[in-house]
Amino acid sequence: MHDFMAILPLVATGAGAILVMLAAAFESFKKEGISILGIGLFAFAFFVQLTVESGAPITPYGSVFNGMLVTSTFTKGAGLIILACGFFSAIASQTYFTQNEGFVLEYYCMMLFAACGMLLMTMAAELITVFIALEIMSLAIYTLIASDRRSVLRSEAVLKYLMLGAFAGAFFVMGSVFIYAGAKSTKFADIGRVVAETGFLTNPALVGGSLLILVAFLFKAAAFPFHAWVVDVYDGAPVPVTGFMATAVKTAVFAVFANFLVINGQLQEGWVNYLFYISVLTMFVGNLIAIGQNSLKRMLAASGIVHTGYLIIALVAVNSEGFTGSTIIFYLAAYAASTLGIFAALSYLGGEGEKRNSFEDFNGLAKVRPYSAACIAIFLLSMAGIPPTAGFMGKFYIIAGAFQGGYISLGVLGIFSSILSMWYYLRLIIAMYFREPEEDFEVAEMTLAPLGTFVLALSVFAISFIPVVI
Amino acid sequence: MFEHLISIMIFVPIIAGLATFVLPLSREAARIVGLAVSVVVVLLGLKLFLSFSGASGSFEFVEYAPINESLGIAYSLGVDGISILVLSAAALLFPMVYLLFQTKAKGYYGNLLIVQGAMIGAVAATDMVLFYVFWEVMLLPVFFMIGLYGGPNRLPATIKITIYTIAGSLLMLASIIYLGISYHAQSGEWSFAMTNFSEMSLTGSTATLAFVGFMIAFAIKIPLFPFHTWLPDAYTEAPTATTFVLSAVMAKIGVYGVIRFVVPVFDESFARYALILACSGVIGMMYCGIAALAQKDFKRMLAFSSASHMGIIALGIFCMNIQALTGTLYQIVAHATSTGVLFLLLGIIEERTESRNIDDFGGLAAKAPVFAFFFAVAMLASVGLPGTSGFIGEFLIILGAVKFNPIIAVFAGTTLIIGVCYMLWLFQRVFFEKPSSKLADFSDLSAIEILTILPIVILIVVMGIYPQPFIAKIEPSAERQMAVIEKVQQIADNRIEPLKPGQELKTGDL
Repeated sequence: MHDFMAILPLVATGAGAILVMLAAAFESFKKEGISILGIGLFAFAFFVQLTVESGAPITPYGSVFNGMLVTSTFTKGAGLIILACGFFSAIASQTYFTQNEGFVLEYYCMMLFAACGMLLMTMAAELITVFIALEIMSLAIYTLIASDRRSVLRSEAVLKYLMLGAFAGAFFVMGSVFIYAGAKSTKFADIGRVVAETGFLTNPALVGGSLLILVAFLFKAAAFPFHAWVVDVYDGAPVPVTGFMATAVKTAVFAVFANFLVINGQLQEGWVNYLFYISVLTMFVGNLIAIGQNSLKRMLAASGIVHTGYLIIALVAVNSEGFTGSTIIFYLAAYAASTLGIFAALSYLGGEGEKRNSFEDFNGLAKVRPYSAACIAIFLLSMAGIPPTAGFMGKFYIIAGAFQGGYISLGVLGIFSSILSMWYYLRLIIAMYFREPEEDFEVAEMTLAPLGTFVLALSVFAISFIPVVI
Repeated sequence: MFEHLISIMIFVPIIAGLATFVLPLSREAARIVGLAVSVVVVLLGLKLFLSFSGASGSFEFVEYAPINESLGIAYSLGVDGISILVLSAAALLFPMVYLLFQTKAKGYYGNLLIVQGAMIGAVAATDMVLFYVFWEVMLLPVFFMIGLYGGPNRLPATIKITIYTIAGSLLMLASIIYLGISYHAQSGEWSFAMTNFSEMSLTGSTATLAFVGFMIAFAIKIPLFPFHTWLPDAYTEAPTATTFVLSAVMAKIGVYGVIRFVVPVFDESFARYALILACSGVIGMMYCGIAALAQKDFKRMLAFSSASHMGIIALGIFCMNIQALTGTLYQIVAHATSTGVLFLLLGIIEERTESRNIDDFGGLAAKAPVFAFFFAVAMLASVGLPGTSGFIGEFLIILGAVKFNPIIAVFAGTTLIIGVCYMLWLFQRVFFEKPSSKLADFSDLSAIEILTILPIVILIVVMGIYPQPFIAKIEPSAERQMAVIEKVQQIADNRIEPLKPGQELKTGDL
């Protein structure tokens, strides 16, 4: 029975998705009704996830579904973040589609399916389950990006993502095959046992297999050198979908990434040097891309790459003994709150057809819409890691973890990267506060997104009080 | 109520500041709120100053509440002889700002309130993480005040000060985390308390890097040569009240940070690099002094003058003896009052004549004798005339410098003369010589303005004539630092003796 309790949130989102699909088939359900249903289902799933027993602080590769899934505070936290991301993205979507084309009634159904795949991914402790989760998530996301199929921009974005994503999926399957060849099992627990017995580096099938799997994870997490698609795809997707991808997908990928790396200390040690350089390059390449952008969405996409770099710092410093992952969860929560906040704000400030998207378009926002500008400023400061926001505490824990693990240079490079990132975060604040408005910011009718933005701004402060153990 | 005195002093201004943003107040109402809150803080500050005994040299008014128990991060506050005068300066000087200046928007008053609360918090924090949080929060209002309400070239100035200070603070953050990790490694417990850090023994190159991280952050804030380049732009472009906040209080928190954190924690590295740092202090003094001589803009001149005097205050720390340290702590307040008054008076001139060009002025003394008198007192305190507060501090610092290194003392003493030159020359050009047409309508200070500035002017004179009550509060804490300083001195003596030009320093020398 405990097994079914553990996947209750997954069932809730999956069933919810089917419910939305059925509802969409009836004429009587219009856009508004579907939106409210979608938002409500995310809220419901969130509370289900909140009440699910996570068991002990960590039950590594416990016997949920015969070792196919794992539940712990880490997976529970990741699930909560994903569902919160879904909730706020749904709120942003509701507002976004009041002034933008391209809404289809199945939109929320796809969001719920994506969330369902992500939840499965956080809990997956077996390679084939991971693959299934990955595909559920990815297919739903592809559909979400291209929900407006008449738009060339969206089609181009989805094509790029689909092609490369298919490669990543293929890499993953290939890696799973290799690992199965090396370890005679696809369960994380068994793989860990084999690694412990035979050693990691002495087993070429395991090395090759885990390399391919790492490539797939790094691709989905938007890490160097698999980051090139991010800017174009994020730019091409509708604003709320971009927000959802930037936060929820990253959370799911990092959850399974961490779970995979801590299978066995030797496996993590085998890759740690490479992850070290990947993390540094991801941070700095991301910063360089972000500095050059003039479009807000592209800047946020590139800044997402930088945050992937910070999260990889946490993976480098991860300790497979007594892994709690609270640092990673904390950082993801802080990052998700601020990123979603900006995208929620963009979804109602962006205007018809996302016409406002460059830094200059937001000149003088503070004079016209002071509260929205203040919220955006809070989100930016949090992403830049300025106290007293959650982003600061997140960076604090990540760097403390790196120092604790003996990676002092990595922590210091992380600091330098945040100095660089001030450039583009401050640029928007300067545009909003210190420049004069050029036009008046007409906004559709009052909808839910401003409220969501406000709640997220508050949560940016509230999250910093969540206790974390390094 | 008084057991949470410091917390009240921190959070009443911050909450009031946030409230002025949110509530639909008029500009005048926001000003009254600001004034009322700052008067409350003054009263609380006086209560704190008077009930602070200082005899034990340890922390008083201690508050403690854990924030993250597993990492030992705590909300812990306290005040001792090292922080009491800086804290008083941050608490007492603010009402003047609200009384003397009208500004463009109510948000300005909100920012002023927040910066005051954050500064008090930074000075009172005894937990490093808490200190860092206040240290950064202190910067944000300055960013907005300069960027929104500053002069015509405010944008580059804002970006410069922000990038500079944030880069410095992030390096300090890395150092703080390193200290926390080292403490965990050495004692097996997590803590970020300042007192715990000072008990650690830190060796190795990483410790030196952590020292550098701290020093750069504070050197930028002070500012110490060669990290001073943001200062002239920021001080000149900022609205006068912000310049006042920056020069009178915020720069002092940089000095305070060095005394409070760097000296006790990194005693060894500090001793090793004290000479270099002292040189940088003296070079900054001279450079900014000479630059001040060349300025045509009144405010820019005062900015360089302030930076030059910060050089000597910093020198006082690096001399590492009790005289210099006491002198520095004393000079922190002396400089805050004298420079503060100078900037405020300049602000009044600027507001009435809409000019800052020194050549536009002349003959002001005849037009506005009270104004000229106040300016003269503050100026004389700034140049360190005996009988004013500036004398005691600078005298003690030079005395300490002679003990530390006579050559440096000679340079520092000589540079003080440059200070006299530009100040007296300025006074001559603005207040004497033939009256300028720009000043035709200049009226003397109003009664309110006189009453606002008079207490500070009296304080300048009292501190110059009767320093004992102030020194009595500082000294026990300064002596507690003596233990550290003596250790530093020992290391330094061994090193300074064999120092020859071009000689490389090695850890083995210690």
